[in-house]
Amino acid sequence: MMKALGPLSRRRFLTASASLGIGTIAAPYVARADDPTLRITGWGGKWGEVMKAEIGPAFESEFKCKLQTDSAFPYLPKLQASSRSAPIYDVLHTNSNEQWAAAEMGLVEPKIDPKLVPNLADVYPYAISDKIVGVSIFTSAIGLGMRTDKGYSGVTSWKELWDAKYNGVRGGYVIPVNSLGQAFLMMCGTLFGKGQTDLDAAYTALEKLKPIKIVDFTGAMEKMLLSGEVGMCVIHDSGIYRYDGQNQPTDFVSPSEGVLSLEQVLTITPGSKMKELANAYVNYMLRPEVQKRLAETVWYSPANKKVKLDAKYDAKLLTTPEKVSKLIQVDWKWYNERKDEIDQRVNRIFRA
Amino acid sequence: MQTTASSSLSAAQQTASVRMPGPARHYGRALYLTINIAILVFLLAPIAIVVVFALNPTPFIQFPPVGVSLRWFEKFFASRDFMHALWFSLEVAVLTTASATILGASAALALARGNLPGTRLIVATMLSPLMLPAILTGLALFQTYVLLDVGRPTWGLVAGHTLVTLPYVVRTTLAVLHNFDTRLEEAAQNLGASPLRTFFELTLPLIKPGVLAGAIFAFIVSFDQFPVSLFLVSPGNETLPVTLFNYLKFDLDGTIGAASVVSIVLAFVVVIGLDRTVGLRSYVKL
Repeated sequence: MMKALGPLSRRRFLTASASLGIGTIAAPYVARADDPTLRITGWGGKWGEVMKAEIGPAFESEFKCKLQTDSAFPYLPKLQASSRSAPIYDVLHTNSNEQWAAAEMGLVEPKIDPKLVPNLADVYPYAISDKIVGVSIFTSAIGLGMRTDKGYSGVTSWKELWDAKYNGVRGGYVIPVNSLGQAFLMMCGTLFGKGQTDLDAAYTALEKLKPIKIVDFTGAMEKMLLSGEVGMCVIHDSGIYRYDGQNQPTDFVSPSEGVLSLEQVLTITPGSKMKELANAYVNYMLRPEVQKRLAETVWYSPANKKVKLDAKYDAKLLTTPEKVSKLIQVDWKWYNERKDEIDQRVNRIFRA
Repeated sequence: MQTTASSSLSAAQQTASVRMPGPARHYGRALYLTINIAILVFLLAPIAIVVVFALNPTPFIQFPPVGVSLRWFEKFFASRDFMHALWFSLEVAVLTTASATILGASAALALARGNLPGTRLIVATMLSPLMLPAILTGLALFQTYVLLDVGRPTWGLVAGHTLVTLPYVVRTTLAVLHNFDTRLEEAAQNLGASPLRTFFELTLPLIKPGVLAGAIFAFIVSFDQFPVSLFLVSPGNETLPVTLFNYLKFDLDGTIGAASVVSIVLAFVVVIGLDRTVGLRSYVKL
């Protein structure tokens, strides 16, 4: 029989608080295991859920180690602040623009050794191209998201985003902080100028996009599209496909000029004391079965050519050489070198 | 004190009513009410929007709401990550409150009574965490822990929170000590009380309102602390604000609203808990 709790006395309150305090501080030391620990970064949301529930524990079991995943942004300043010889992470997982910034600072190794990561042999060329630091394990396609209940059918080109009928319902990003926005800026140069690096053409095009609703996070753009606040926007395919089966009046358009690549990139830190395990992790993440599970959970296109997705996913994701050939990769090295100047200019454009 | 305050207020009103002509008094009262209502709306509107967002069944902010649903609360309470973050935040806030209160109250006493050289400079230094952007404080502490090779321990997070909450306790305790009549302590000691007994039976009860106010500030600031925590949380031990920030990068649904409502309710629970354990109500008039 359970003993009834008496009223909360001051002594009991203080005793309980002290016990709680000691327990909280001591818990990590009590729980510390002897297994080697691989420190990685990773996303939250569905990605985090499936990594925590399945993919991570399977890796730990197979390689007899602990996987310690930091899913609290920002990763790059933390890595920058830690010692080069004892970095805070062994494997860095971020988008390509941040990986390039990390590589420029010498915080990550620019390439992965194919001898140590045999699955590199099976990836599409874009995943290890000269536009990539490390290896891209997945990619999303950045294109146009649109409402299907507003009579906007027949959209085939990026240029239609500039159509006056989308004034007031057009969506974009705060370019200095969002990689989709940054990639889109480069696309503007291609669409209206001599190429990705034609910044003047891109700035002129951005001026003409106003009025536009801009947000920081892609999650916010998804919700604006779902609520109807935005009718046409720049977005990645997984931001639309993740609502598959929920009868949402939204769709993703792959423009005829091509889709921009939003890569999920893994790199290894030069000072890591767990190099062997780090390479094993990169190789593991490129395994067809791991790629399939994650791709079908978060709607990312797998980098491994040998992955066979279920029909529903196969129809929409970039799973064949023909589909992959539509990907346009951004020259992030070039972009990062000019980021401050670009940030100042686009801030002026959208502030006015 | 309340009686004195209310009688002086009514005296002031009477004086005002004698001096002000009828229509002017009417407009003055209307203006007074309007300003107060505007302030209340300004303070409460964000909370109201959060509650509406939390109860709205759609996965995005929609106004007017299309119904009432508890689905986001279910999702919040069913999430192991959110629950762990909630309890961890509470634990850190309790530990921070304890450390900031003990250190802050002791420091305030030393500053008020210690005849220390450069007291103003010391006070300014102790309040300096309020002047620095908290994100820089977090980054600096993170770098310090890295240099010391201690990783990102929970005590490090509590120390970071203590650093930014300490000024509140120092400030509120110093305010009470400013009006403290030291002759009471002298009288107690003249009557044979030891310095320790004088402190626990006279000084502490008299400065309790300031200490308690500082403690409440410390708890709330720690529980809501984001910029310092951003750098100091360790993998698997994220606080609720950090977990919410990471969540909204991927899922901006009503779970964020539900978490906020739970936080607001918790703040009330803490105030009620303090009332029951240390008798907050008796100090409210101060």
